Amino acid sequence: MSGPLLLALESSCDETGIALVEDGRRIHANVVASQVALHAPTGGIVPEVAARAHLRWIVPVLDEALATAGATMRDVDGVAVTYGPGLAGSLLVGINFAKTLAWAHRKPLVPVNHLEGHLYAGWLLDPGEAEREAPPFPLVALVVSGGHTFLVEMRDHLDYRYLGGTVDDAAGEAFDKVGRLLGLGYPGGPAISREATRATAHDRVFPRAWLRGTYDVSFSGLKTAARRIVAQARADEGLPADGREGDLAAATVAELAWGFQDSVVDVLTTKTIRAAEEVGARGIVLGGGVAANGALRARISGEAEARGLALVIPRPGLCTDNGAMIGAAGARRFAAGVRAGLDLDARPSLPLARPAATAS
Amino acid sequence: MTEGGPILLIDTATTRAVVALGTAGGTLLEQRRWTAGYRHGEELLARTEALLGDRQVTLADLGAIAVGTGPGAFTGLRVGIATAKGLAHALGLPIVGIATGPALLDAARAADPAASGLVLVAPAGPNDRVLLRLGEAARIVAGGADLGLAADERLVAVDLAGRAPEEAVTLGEAAVDGLAAAMLRAAAARLAAGDADDLATLVPEYVTLPRGVRMPPPDEGVEMSGSEPGPASGGARP
Ligand SMILES: [Zn+2]
Repeated sequence: MSGPLLLALESSCDETGIALVEDGRRIHANVVASQVALHAPTGGIVPEVAARAHLRWIVPVLDEALATAGATMRDVDGVAVTYGPGLAGSLLVGINFAKTLAWAHRKPLVPVNHLEGHLYAGWLLDPGEAEREAPPFPLVALVVSGGHTFLVEMRDHLDYRYLGGTVDDAAGEAFDKVGRLLGLGYPGGPAISREATRATAHDRVFPRAWLRGTYDVSFSGLKTAARRIVAQARADEGLPADGREGDLAAATVAELAWGFQDSVVDVLTTKTIRAAEEVGARGIVLGGGVAANGALRARISGEAEARGLALVIPRPGLCTDNGAMIGAAGARRFAAGVRAGLDLDARPSLPLARPAATAS
Repeated sequence: MTEGGPILLIDTATTRAVVALGTAGGTLLEQRRWTAGYRHGEELLARTEALLGDRQVTLADLGAIAVGTGPGAFTGLRVGIATAKGLAHALGLPIVGIATGPALLDAARAADPAASGLVLVAPAGPNDRVLLRLGEAARIVAGGADLGLAADERLVAVDLAGRAPEEAVTLGEAAVDGLAAAMLRAAAARLAAGDADDLATLVPEYVTLPRGVRMPPPDEGVEMSGSEPGPASGGARP
């Protein structure tokens, strides 16, 4: 395989990611500076702090990526960068750095939608993997992360039909919220997943976030229910309903974590499988940080296999934000002639849509 | 890079962005200024390209990059410093971050050498003001509050037209007019002393943060990982 080598930059939220990706599939380097620990004390991302960390880390991440790939900017055929959606201040750092590199090195600049990056992570090969069949069209893709939860149908590259998504909170936000309720800290996703595997009883049922007759979901009701259920569990153990004083028994935390996670996984899996069947998809692609959740991966792969649907779930390091996924999506845009000028600006609410070609 | 080549200066701390070329000795050759508001990123590279083109200077001719580090608007500072870092990295040039606030005071003094006790005031968020005296740390005061000026102190008001005394706004205009020259003088002095900044760690000087938020030290809380090894074949394409 040989195709264009893209330098790809991602800075839309709290990860500074720079990768070198060949032909949209083969990763030559994928370096990420993660700010998770930086934002843990505030229990969420502070945009000003995030943007400054991007500025602090973007050069070392670039140097590390080039060194890992054994490449120089001379080897690069184009520069791809996330220009939305995301936090304006964070996006600006990656965009302006990328624009300047493209300009100074005389490389084409390829603007990439962050959500598209999560979808295209499914095309990336694993280390050492020579070749693998690409996800088959038509397909249904589910992106679940701290900021996004939605389903799209793709009948071809760069062709998206929105099927549905959350009408309120993203799945990842619900994980964070319930993680806090259970005293598991931030971020909630990995902690809840870990606790859930320790559950020995599986009879705590949380309500499902169905919005029947649509592919939409709602997690705000589930959050409210979780607050009530946790408060009840605390009362049952003789703890103050809502205080910081006293911890739930470890077994209870594990059972509640399992029950909450099961609700989210059930809804996401059911909606995704139904969408795949109704649009006649041949495959399913998962992306976004919550796609790293073990229970979701296991449940959806069982359901897909039972129906003969090809399932692609990137390995966990490619589900969370990273530069390689921008290189994967960027390659398709690069091939389609999508280019940006030096005036490229951040688009914090950029929708997922087919890009217009600007180069011949 | 060219030893002794011209210095390219970028400042985006105020609503009026500037790119300028100066000699290695710190003399202003030419500047371009425009009202960027809060959209500094849209025109910065095009203006830079035009400035270089008009002076018949190529990127390869440049000797150093200087950039304003604020205090100032978050948006502009991010754009300016990200751009300056990209240029310094791409061209292998030394970078110097110059504090915009003291440079504005410097420029105001150059405009009015008789003036003593200059105090810079500029917006910090929708309601607050940042107040800076030379040699002191910048501080935040509520808009409309008594600035506590001494009898011999004069205000230099930047980005506050209509919201500060006219005389202070006029002095502020003069300061902004002379900003590039002042910053180039400071940059050349630092470069001559071998005092360039570290390209990785250079960050803007912010003054305001949401209430209750502490800005952690720049190296705290971030973990860098190159979790993805290269391909089996190793290295980039031949
Ligand atoms: Zn993301």
